[in-house]
Amino acid sequence: MATAAVATASRVRTEKAPGIKPRGWIGFLFIAPNLLGVIAFTLIPLISVVVLAFTDWNLVSGLGGITFNGIDNFVAIARDPGFWHAIGLTLVYVVVSVPLTVVLGLALGIALNRPLPGRAVLRAIFFLPYIVNVVAIGMTWLMLMNPKAGLVNQVLDAFGIQPGWFASSHWALPALIVMAIWGGVGYCSLIYLSALQDAPRQLYEAADIDGASAWAKFRVITWPSLLPTTIFLLVTLIIGASQGFGLIALITAGGPGDSTTTISYYMYQTGFQFYRFGYASAIGLVTFVGVLVLTLLTWRAQRGRALNE
Amino acid sequence: MRRKRFSRREVLAGLGAAGAAALVPGCGSGGGRSGALQVWGGVPAASGPGDVVKAFQAKFPQYAVDYTRFVNDDRGNLKLDTALQGGVDIDVYFTYSQGAMALRAGSGLAADLTDRVTNDPELKVFLDTEQPRSYIDNGKVKALATAREPFFVLFNEKLRQQAGVELPQAWTIDEFRSTAKRLTTDKTVGAYTVPDIARIALGPNYWYDGNRSNFGDPHFEQGFRVGREMIADGTAFPWTEVLARHLDAYQQNSFLTEEFHLWSTAPFNLRYLYDAKKYPHDFKVSFAPSPTVDGKDWNGGSYSNFIMINPKSPKFEAAWAFVKFWLTEGATPMLKGGKLPALGGVTDDQVITGMLGKEPDKYFDMDSFRRVVLEADPKLATDTRLTGFPEITLAVKQQRDLCWLGEKDPGVAIREVRRLADAAIARNERRP
Repeated sequence: MATAAVATASRVRTEKAPGIKPRGWIGFLFIAPNLLGVIAFTLIPLISVVVLAFTDWNLVSGLGGITFNGIDNFVAIARDPGFWHAIGLTLVYVVVSVPLTVVLGLALGIALNRPLPGRAVLRAIFFLPYIVNVVAIGMTWLMLMNPKAGLVNQVLDAFGIQPGWFASSHWALPALIVMAIWGGVGYCSLIYLSALQDAPRQLYEAADIDGASAWAKFRVITWPSLLPTTIFLLVTLIIGASQGFGLIALITAGGPGDSTTTISYYMYQTGFQFYRFGYASAIGLVTFVGVLVLTLLTWRAQRGRALNE
Repeated sequence: MRRKRFSRREVLAGLGAAGAAALVPGCGSGGGRSGALQVWGGVPAASGPGDVVKAFQAKFPQYAVDYTRFVNDDRGNLKLDTALQGGVDIDVYFTYSQGAMALRAGSGLAADLTDRVTNDPELKVFLDTEQPRSYIDNGKVKALATAREPFFVLFNEKLRQQAGVELPQAWTIDEFRSTAKRLTTDKTVGAYTVPDIARIALGPNYWYDGNRSNFGDPHFEQGFRVGREMIADGTAFPWTEVLARHLDAYQQNSFLTEEFHLWSTAPFNLRYLYDAKKYPHDFKVSFAPSPTVDGKDWNGGSYSNFIMINPKSPKFEAAWAFVKFWLTEGATPMLKGGKLPALGGVTDDQVITGMLGKEPDKYFDMDSFRRVVLEADPKLATDTRLTGFPEITLAVKQQRDLCWLGEKDPGVAIREVRRLADAAIARNERRP
């Protein structure tokens, strides 16, 4: 009797939603492991951060130790010189490293699009930094940039320059920017390369017939066709650079002084060294909003230009 | 054959069951509790704890013990904290940093051991507050030090004799500095760095003065200034090299390769000095006491490696038996990792064979070892006031680095430490 009732109900539901067949739900079983992963490791932490941003909590005191403190954390952030210092450093890091990475990636992409001997090998070599382990990259650069015995300073010595790199509060951030550019250029060039190969051949042929210069062809044909790719790269690189953490944790730990304490590292210190999880969550939330605004502005600016062209 | 069709409810039930199956084993208080006593520590089992556990099980066959090692860094301590908070089966655990100590003891993660300590004549020394060996939170004993880690200054005997420098048996910080100067050569810097002058002069809780920080005391600026001057005149290791090579964690390598001479360190680093196959070197090491400052002689070392019992442990009696065993008679195997037992209870021979390897005479000057490590009774400074401790630790490190890199004047650097420390103390004392 009950079975019959369930079967009837099932039929009724099917009739109400003809697009979804009952066995379509089996598909959810296939994505269940991934779905559970996303819920457990992304959605729940995300919601937790939003909730914790309005609390004073040190983790060790357990859930019972959570004290809601309204907007106190956000008021404290507004008055926290350490936060604004970290924001300033992050902006410098993003504003310098992202455009340079994109420009150099574009130049390299165009170069690799030409029929060079050993092109495939060169592409692989330039892409390598993107896939190499961050620890290996960090240790290698640490040796290369040793102020006394490093290869970089031995070369620069010929020009009378001896930067302190990671052992100088003036040079540590530039050193990290150099590493970020080195690590990102190969990736950008590969993305640009695939976009360049999709560029319409017939337009180049028409431009050749009209006697257009190389610069004119780049400005009128190549660049507009690369704009969607550029928007994609800018957005992903801005997000990535704003979250930059691994190399800082590995090489400088935010120092010397606080010269490389970017916002991600400041958040880490606040949460995992000082155990101020509520405050760290508020920093995370504010940073998220900031990166979102920056990304949207970039996206809108580039999209507007793409539409105009 | 007709294929079974799943209803939405069945699918949801399946998802729920799968989720529960995945999540339940990893959480919930009491989940996965075993019969054995669970002990978490930061020292690898092979460096002593494994043998302590064996000896305990031999004496108390009714108890089984599982020792789990966590790496004693930020991530390892976070793992321990979340495990304790999440109800993972941990009965006894170790705390190595004072910052973590205050947090754990103050957050209900440490059982009250006051009665046990008070009622046991062997353990009454843990109630001493002059040179504390325990952490007392609101009048309750929450943690007991298992190790004693006095600082001393190591000399490279070969280079010392070449330089014709006498091995000091008592000396001041100025004599330390002049000795470093005499030992500096083209190849070897006189000292790794200067001992903590403020600590020697002020003793425990030296960062605090009432409800403010104590960085207005001139010894802090003196420490920064002496360090900077020694680096500038080449008698202390260049701080650019220390940072660029991450030397703070690998000081022993530069000592063994004779890059620097005087090394102010503690017994845990002696393990690098008696194994010439693994850590090649061709010199003996001799010992001098820490220098004094203005007649004050606090040692830079402390009582440490605090053992604590999880208040949620259902095996408190077994846990206490283990703690007491470790403190009173079981810690001898820890000598191989350079951990002198907090309560003594070991013979000189056990210390020598435990800490200095199989051929102590080959690698160490035994007269000075006996004098400085076995016979001396230095005043150890263990901090028990810990308000804003991690924040102040970071502020001191950051400003010291800038000062010793030559980028900031010692006075300016100390004033910045003072500002940051005052803010950290005020902020933490406001918290509930």
